[in-house]
Amino acid sequence: MTTLWPRLEPLLPRVSKPARYIGCEDGMQRPTVGPHLTSWLLAYPDTYEIGLPNQGLQILYELLNERPDASAERTYAPWIDLEAEMRAAGLPLFSVDTHRAADEFDIIAFNLSAELVYTNVLNCIDLAGLEVRSAQRSDADPLIGAGGHCAYNPEPLADFVDFFVVGDGEEVVSEITEAVGAWKRTGKRPGTRATILRDLAGIEGVYVPAMYDVAYDGPAVAAVTPKYPDVPAQVAKRTVADLAEWPYPRRQLVPVTEVVHDRLSVEVFRGCTRGCRFCQAGMITRPVRERPAAQVREMVTAGLERSGYDEVSLMSLSTADYSGIAELVRDTVTGGNITAGEAGGTSDTAGGAGASNTNGADANRISVSLPSMRVDAFTVDVAAQVSRARRTGLTFAPEAGSWRLRQIINKLITEEDLYGAVRSAYSQGWHRMKLYFLTGLPSEMDPDTEAIAHLADACTRIGQEYTKRASVTVSLGGFVPKPHTPFQWFGQNPPEELARKVRLVRSALGRNRRVQLKWHDPAASTAEGIVSRGDRRVGAVIEYVWRKGGTFQEWSERFDLGLWEEAMAACGLSLDWYVYRHRGPHEVLPWDHIGAGLHRDFLWHDWQDALAGHGLPDCRWTPCYDCGACTEYGIEHMVASPVAPNGGSQGTGQDLATGHMVPVELRPRQLAGAGAPSGNGA
Amino acid sequence: MAHDALGPGAGAEMQCRSHPRGWEMSLRLRVRFSKVGKIRFIGHRDVARVTERAVRKVGLPVAYSQGFSPRMKLSFGLALPTGYESDAEFVELPLVADAVRDPSAAEPGARHAAGPVIAGRSGDHAPCEHGPPSAAPSYCTVAEALSEALPMGMDVSAVTLVDGRGPSLQAAVHSCGWEFDIVGLDATAAAKAVADFLAAGTVVTERVHKGETVSSDIRPSVEVLQVVGCSDRGAVLSAELSATPRVVRPSELVPALAPALEMGIARRTHQWTSGAAGRAEPAVPAVCAQRHKEPISG
Repeated sequence: MTTLWPRLEPLLPRVSKPARYIGCEDGMQRPTVGPHLTSWLLAYPDTYEIGLPNQGLQILYELLNERPDASAERTYAPWIDLEAEMRAAGLPLFSVDTHRAADEFDIIAFNLSAELVYTNVLNCIDLAGLEVRSAQRSDADPLIGAGGHCAYNPEPLADFVDFFVVGDGEEVVSEITEAVGAWKRTGKRPGTRATILRDLAGIEGVYVPAMYDVAYDGPAVAAVTPKYPDVPAQVAKRTVADLAEWPYPRRQLVPVTEVVHDRLSVEVFRGCTRGCRFCQAGMITRPVRERPAAQVREMVTAGLERSGYDEVSLMSLSTADYSGIAELVRDTVTGGNITAGEAGGTSDTAGGAGASNTNGADANRISVSLPSMRVDAFTVDVAAQVSRARRTGLTFAPEAGSWRLRQIINKLITEEDLYGAVRSAYSQGWHRMKLYFLTGLPSEMDPDTEAIAHLADACTRIGQEYTKRASVTVSLGGFVPKPHTPFQWFGQNPPEELARKVRLVRSALGRNRRVQLKWHDPAASTAEGIVSRGDRRVGAVIEYVWRKGGTFQEWSERFDLGLWEEAMAACGLSLDWYVYRHRGPHEVLPWDHIGAGLHRDFLWHDWQDALAGHGLPDCRWTPCYDCGACTEYGIEHMVASPVAPNGGSQGTGQDLATGHMVPVELRPRQLAGAGAPSGNGA
Repeated sequence: MAHDALGPGAGAEMQCRSHPRGWEMSLRLRVRFSKVGKIRFIGHRDVARVTERAVRKVGLPVAYSQGFSPRMKLSFGLALPTGYESDAEFVELPLVADAVRDPSAAEPGARHAAGPVIAGRSGDHAPCEHGPPSAAPSYCTVAEALSEALPMGMDVSAVTLVDGRGPSLQAAVHSCGWEFDIVGLDATAAAKAVADFLAAGTVVTERVHKGETVSSDIRPSVEVLQVVGCSDRGAVLSAELSATPRVVRPSELVPALAPALEMGIARRTHQWTSGAAGRAEPAVPAVCAQRHKEPISG
């Protein structure tokens, strides 16, 4: 093992933010290397500030380093200034832990959280000194792996990545470690790379693109078929059944420089069954698996004590749906179970023995941030609790301006729900908040779009009852349909149409100075659309953009749609075919051979229901409609409460727990097991 | 082990919060720390962030600002340029009004206490029985606890208790001591360059300030300059540079000393203030052993 630090150090005074290349985090492991250890380089293909907080990467980092037969280090995409210095000095990609060269690792595994980072993946492989195309790499080269939400459509990166992991990574990394370790001990002899790849293809949840042939019918994909009988025709995702078995990260990395989420993060549950039809995360991570409350408290207590943070984020796709959320937030904020003098190191402090924070000042209070907070759960009580420490930024996501459109996307939040939440916030001292909307949604018409302005205006009027400074920021994102969602068949709006809708909102806002409008670049949505639902042929487009210097496409100052259009033309591919057209019910989708657990049939029906304006309730608290996520894998929801917290209106204004009908039309569905729903906790 | 090294004068016990208030005095903890090795690449704001977290981990009863977004009231000495090393960084931590009970600890001026004894997590040490908590086995000195809580390469070498009403460190420091090397400069050439520099009446160099190139005469700011040795990169120089009216950095000297060469690594060795008997440092290192310190880079 050789460290590149002596060669890197002289370059750092010349680059911006050198602290992102030094490691030194609290929680950093000091991995050893050796022939008996499978070494992983966990790579986040964006800057350190963006990548460091990634929980998935941190969980695997700890798990692998706990194994006696593995070690793991981390790397992040060097910013363009350092990349230029590295290329000039002949310095390869390195780990931030021991500053070891990337090509000394057995596996380089990328986290894919967003499509526009794909050109960075290629750049990192190239910076590691490797051929970007899998077929051209040699036996002893590191294996290139990838996982994360974008791996649910692996095809655009199929020519560059040796293996993908679909689903939760906690268990499968062990199996990969063992397979690769066995191969390593045989010396990675010439000609054996194909053997290890085939071995990996046999692991559940692992997709090896080289083991599949893709047949085309003109512009369409005709079939994706395995080359060998022992390779599965469909790769099913991995799902961790019980989050309580995985209390990670135990030692969250605390960086020495500023990063995007600079706070303690504790995952309170995984999965979401709200059923928002645009949301890929909510579809692919089913079922809901709550972490036991006692374990959450323990992780919060131990994490704050160890890290020195005074802010904790209770993470999930919809944190307000966590059973007992109000008590959890209250206890966390008051530090009742946090600062009890002798609590350090003891395990279960839930209940806190009534040890209140004896330092009466609010200064020592813990700030709680609740990402993905549904408006129907943001009550005065929660607002008051959250505001007791520091008032953090507040974002609500109605997603669509009109009730009609919110029914179509199944975000069942009424205007009254939103106004109630906004009132709660203003009354507890906030004077600005952010409202997040999507535009370019299926069946969206101009009145739906303009309704965004009306909602925002109404919110500021409520705010004025409490403060003269009341204002609202409206953030508009262009909708990009995602694989494995009911909207995967929908033809995305072209950038001109998205831009027109932005203008529509702007003009509807008129001279309202209390509303600030921000929007995502419609051109970036187009590029994201190419990759999001692309097939294997899109790989050439990604390579073209990368070769033309198109790295860091997530960064607006670096993004260039012209480059993507040029690349599409050069590869003979049509934007209309890949992005704008609606897809048909019988079309083979490029990701059909990847199994997210959801029946394709269910998704198609939900798509049709959407167009008809039918809603779908949350199966956590209502009968199972058999989407496939539980039944296919023999797993169940794990929730502590059979009813929704905070009254559980699900945006309907009614308490589902008392058995009222939901005031939206629900199409009855065939229940699994003849009306004896299993695994919905109800 | 370091308890002995810290000396017996380290008397100020932090008060148990449930204990009757005996004494109120505006006091600050003045902490001297180093910044060496990889950690030299973090910026001044990063130093503030890691210090804030370290203070919380140790549980020092530090005062917070009031209002909408309460923050810990830390005040640092002169900012160290990113990439520089230092043996002489300072931060002052104003304590909450009733944190200190022992009146003798409140004598004006710095006491080289190096380690008031406090609880590992003070402010709410529940089992306190109205007595000094020094008997409990988990107590350690502030210096050790802070060093442990800070990143590798940042070690606390002194902790003193000072009157909270004095001038800010930033205003009090009039000059800084530095050591720096120049890559590829041999000792002979370095000696000549230093002699020429010191003999010159004015030395005008250029630097970029807020996007503009500014030239100024740095000669009056150079109080001491000498060659003190050689690193594996080149000659090592020692300098004392004034901090008023502006802070002159060692890197500004390099174009005048060796126009074609680059500076290697600079390390701040001292920050000087005016004391009763000539110049003095805000706090003198009392802890010799530095924890898991990395070798000087390069």
